[in-house]
Amino acid sequence: MSNQSLTVKSVSKNFAGVKALDNFNLEVEVGELVALLGPSGCGKTTALRIVAGLEKQDSGAIRVGDTDITSVPAYKRNMGMVFQAYSLFPNLSVEENVAFGLQMRKVDKKVRLKKAHELLDLVGLDSQSKRFPHQLSGGQQQRVALARALAFEPEILLLDEPLSALDAQVRTNLREEIRRLQLSLGTTTLFVTHDQEEAMAISDRVGVMSNGRLEQIDIPDVLYNNPASTFVANFVGTMNHIPAIASGDTVNIFGKQVRIKNSHSGSGEVSALVRPESITVMRSQGAGQAKIVTRSFLGASSQIVCQLPDGAIIQSLMPSQSTGELHPGEEVNLSISLDEVLVTHAKIT
Amino acid sequence: MIRKKIDIPLIIVLTLLGLFILVPMGSAFEYSIRNGLEGGYSFKNYIWAFNQDDFGHYLLRSAWLASLTVLITLLILVPTMTLLHLSNSKFRPLIDGLSLLPLVIPVVAFAVGAQIALPEFVQSTVFELPFLYFILALPYAYRSLDIGLNAIPLKTLTEAARSSGANWRNTVVHVITPAVRSSVMGTVALTFALSLGEYTITVLLHWDTFPTWVTYVAQENLLGAIAISMIALIVPFAVLTSISLFAPDRSMKESK
Repeated sequence: MSNQSLTVKSVSKNFAGVKALDNFNLEVEVGELVALLGPSGCGKTTALRIVAGLEKQDSGAIRVGDTDITSVPAYKRNMGMVFQAYSLFPNLSVEENVAFGLQMRKVDKKVRLKKAHELLDLVGLDSQSKRFPHQLSGGQQQRVALARALAFEPEILLLDEPLSALDAQVRTNLREEIRRLQLSLGTTTLFVTHDQEEAMAISDRVGVMSNGRLEQIDIPDVLYNNPASTFVANFVGTMNHIPAIASGDTVNIFGKQVRIKNSHSGSGEVSALVRPESITVMRSQGAGQAKIVTRSFLGASSQIVCQLPDGAIIQSLMPSQSTGELHPGEEVNLSISLDEVLVTHAKIT
Repeated sequence: MIRKKIDIPLIIVLTLLGLFILVPMGSAFEYSIRNGLEGGYSFKNYIWAFNQDDFGHYLLRSAWLASLTVLITLLILVPTMTLLHLSNSKFRPLIDGLSLLPLVIPVVAFAVGAQIALPEFVQSTVFELPFLYFILALPYAYRSLDIGLNAIPLKTLTEAARSSGANWRNTVVHVITPAVRSSVMGTVALTFALSLGEYTITVLLHWDTFPTWVTYVAQENLLGAIAISMIALIVPFAVLTSISLFAPDRSMKESK
């Protein structure tokens, strides 16, 4: 399999005057799995379809390795694709579906069926090879679609929300299977999803998109712990918006002076963005900074929801063993474990 | 023991439909085996029909003209309608309406106008008939395919085929047409039957086919002409039924 890198250079696309992609740039290294994550309408699917050749960009270029494929039609791009909707050909058996790409490439029937069985074996469905799509479950159909997309040894694998039509358990299993296959075959993969857990779980890097642009692309840990913008901070994971007073480049949060890491204009009221796990809740001897609203036991950790005197809700995630004495209605003090935070001027409720 | 529930309304509808089709056919058959003034029944009209020198000639001529019409219809309509559905064009309702025009325009007006529109080398040969039959069959063929294309995830299947390496021709031949197989079969049956029995346009353009020949022989032997018509009805019906029986939908066959 000749895996290649993928480069998307300055691609723009408008639909009836609405910008779907705005000078979009992306590089995916050989053998890497990159997820594009973002809310509906952010342009992630448009980007994927342009890479696949199913949509034509207004400007910009697509390269696979050193080859410019900007004007190459979809069927000549040698990219396997798995779709959100079930897309198996209803008139073909499972093995014929998987062998379809090889048939189009005029590969000998014996060779292509052998290859189809190899791929079906990889996705655990070799025993179903003679069945037809309507005889398979949704998860099985997506597995066959994955086998079909990989059978002709594509240079790039494109996944357009392939798990979104499946139930939770099947989703989790199949995403692990996708990652296992991708790693074992080393296929360069671009994966579009709106599910951040899915993206973070299996991707080498995650690109967060907003309004047709890539806001940030990085490894999942960095994206979560060090978001480059308030949009990324808000979109990825749960985020508290703590009312605070900024003074120059610092902000006072629960009595602690913390450095502000993003640019903001002047001093005054801001919302500090802090993850629940960065907030510690402690019992107060007298009147506290907040009152506990609920405490939810989640196993190893517990979620404590508190309310500040101004009505703002703060979530904290702490090890369960240290939350045993915290009960709803109690006055508590709060502290944060960060030395720098992102702030926004708009108070988000 | 589980008993299957009997669907009485369905049985009533199917019975009425069956009677609607079978009573006229049965009556025609009964008429075709009458012995005329002598009374009684026999197959002598059928024997007479098969002994006519031109019977096979005109039946074959109409059959290959009908087959050509089916070919033209599929070659033009399947790719055109696939692209029309994929394009999601705002003109689709207009095109839907235009496809009904052959039902509205009088055949006399249509025959002359349509003939002039054909290339001259086609106008002067019997090959003009399949093109004109195609237009006559358009309202039925269009709707049959339209239903099929609406019933499948056309865009996803097309894109899956394209991303797997299929060009447009392979996409239509290997993916779309088999996916709308029952609609295509319906189109074939409707177009073939309509072409085989078409009379008005053929007479207007002074061509002789099986229906015009039947009209001619009816002047000599009415009961014989009815027998010929019965044969002309049964033969294509048998052929089309055989196609359906011996080439059923593979995926459905496997699932039984």
